[in-house]
Amino acid sequence: MKMLHLAVLAAGLAMASPASAETLIRIGYPGTGLDDRPFAYGDYIAVAHVQKLVEAEFADQPDIKVTWTFFRGAGPALNESLAAGQLDFAAGLGDLPSIVGRSRGLDTKFLASAGEHDALYLAVPPNSSIATIDDLKGHKVAQFRGTNLQIATDRVLEAHRLTEKDIRFVSLDSNAATAALVSGAVEASFGGAEYLDLAKRGVIKIIYSTKNDDPTLGRNAGLFVTGEFEKAHPDYTAKVVHAFIKAARFASDEANRSAVFEIWAKSGLPVESFAADFAAERLAHRITPVIDAFIVNRYKDQAQRAKAYGLVKKDVDIDSWFEPKYLQQALADLKLEHFWPTYDVNGKVVTSGDVEQTKAASN
Amino acid sequence: MSRPNFVDNSGLSGRADRAARALPRAAARLASAAQGLAAPLVLLAGWDIGARLGWLPEQILPPPTEVLGALRETLQDGSLLSSTLTSLRRVAQGFFAGAVAGLAFGFAIGASPGTRALLTPLFLSLSHVPTLGWIPILILFVGIDESLKILVIGWAAFVPVALNAAQGVRDVPRAYLELGRVLSFSRWSRFQSIVLPSAVPSIFTGLREGLANSWQTLVAVELIASFEGLGYLMAYGRQLFQLELVLAAMIVIAVIGLTIHVLLGLIESHLQRWNPR
Repeated sequence: MKMLHLAVLAAGLAMASPASAETLIRIGYPGTGLDDRPFAYGDYIAVAHVQKLVEAEFADQPDIKVTWTFFRGAGPALNESLAAGQLDFAAGLGDLPSIVGRSRGLDTKFLASAGEHDALYLAVPPNSSIATIDDLKGHKVAQFRGTNLQIATDRVLEAHRLTEKDIRFVSLDSNAATAALVSGAVEASFGGAEYLDLAKRGVIKIIYSTKNDDPTLGRNAGLFVTGEFEKAHPDYTAKVVHAFIKAARFASDEANRSAVFEIWAKSGLPVESFAADFAAERLAHRITPVIDAFIVNRYKDQAQRAKAYGLVKKDVDIDSWFEPKYLQQALADLKLEHFWPTYDVNGKVVTSGDVEQTKAASN
Repeated sequence: MSRPNFVDNSGLSGRADRAARALPRAAARLASAAQGLAAPLVLLAGWDIGARLGWLPEQILPPPTEVLGALRETLQDGSLLSSTLTSLRRVAQGFFAGAVAGLAFGFAIGASPGTRALLTPLFLSLSHVPTLGWIPILILFVGIDESLKILVIGWAAFVPVALNAAQGVRDVPRAYLELGRVLSFSRWSRFQSIVLPSAVPSIFTGLREGLANSWQTLVAVELIASFEGLGYLMAYGRQLFQLELVLAAMIVIAVIGLTIHVLLGLIESHLQRWNPR
């Protein structure tokens, strides 16, 4: 009854609006740059956004409009928007929020990986007595809850036989956490590349990173489409994936290393932060769209852990989530089937990938 | 017009009167309570039916059964009780500090035209800054710990308490004050026997509003930076997409708010027993 009213109302509005023939492709990104700048960083999504690659796919279809929304509230806020039917694609959504969304019945398809091995850093004030993860016990620590930072943090804690309950976690978003750490309002903070510049300037120090630890400790993200959009517009979905794979191709090529860092620097973080974040690491180590055994296993493992940590209530079915046909099509069209390395469940290289033949990593 | 009975406010006649009125009044109260339950029950039924028929996605509006489940679960693991106690303590501290300061300030500007002229413009302009607007600057001064929460909650209570106390004091009928002067009451007994009783309704309006403000602000400050409390529980539920947890916390907040409201009403009518309305 009520739905009918809404439908009638929506139809009326659609007819009344002059641009009724327009199709919107609404892309959401779980984050912003420094001071809420509408720019992504650290992934190929940022490249697709800045180079307008998705828009370019639809250049000959003026009735199709691509919109981007950057969520300061990161994954949790993006999930709410998905639930409200305001997005078609979630680009770069972290593992935990996407698993949480799926556990609550959000209808999404996992189209491609949007990043793996993303490092987690633990930052403390320069004069802090906290020197190891174990020292965190009982201290006040900032954490961006509900994002893939949370589960990555919980895993690191677990590896040190700690749980969230041992630490007084204050939920702050990335920008607020930096301010709180610098002003001494919190004693430590888990985060990503955003701390590296501050560390270089001596404002904080980094006492732990997952970079040299177990490869499965890193953070993952994915490219998702809503089931509804994919069903209604498989052709558009294919084009969007095609555009993102082009971006991934560009962003994982060592020849573009500085160009990629420049694109990410539109977020307001300096190029040096990305150089430090990727020090002695190939771009393709993190930037890959490939859905391999490693990724599938990471998500299965994260889903189980999320339940064990009480972050989700139900078992989440991972296998039926993946819809790799668009990825495979795009890889074939762009002749990139062997471009990226693939990893086994433990993160060991299975096939090395052509991208490894590009210029060596350098900083 | 009824006149307050200054000299003897617990007279025998009054007591007998009250006893005679008590029974029908209790029945009337029961009836009005039943009436008051009707709207929430209708809302609950609508919510349940809506959830069953899937008017809104489950992620946005979980069914009442799930909210009950969340209530039960958080009760069992103790997190609901400890969050509620933390929040109650914060509101108690903040509200008490804010209300005491607000009453003192309100009496001062209500009673003395000089103080009023000096402080009212500043106070009024500051009171127009939304409570949450103070948070960024307060964080710089006091950090994000308990003192921030107490200060913000206190300020939320201070403003309406002070405004209404001042109003109540100013609105004491001149005739009463004159009577006090004629009877050569001291300043203190004038305040105690004339001003205060006459200002009680206004003061309680302020206290009630202040308490409601305190609760609302509590949730907001706990959403920002904390690791315990009902607001924190709501933020946590939201970030992990557990809307049933958010709704469970909302129910607890609403029930406590209603309880406090009723308690304040009882205290007020007790203090106003001289006034046969």
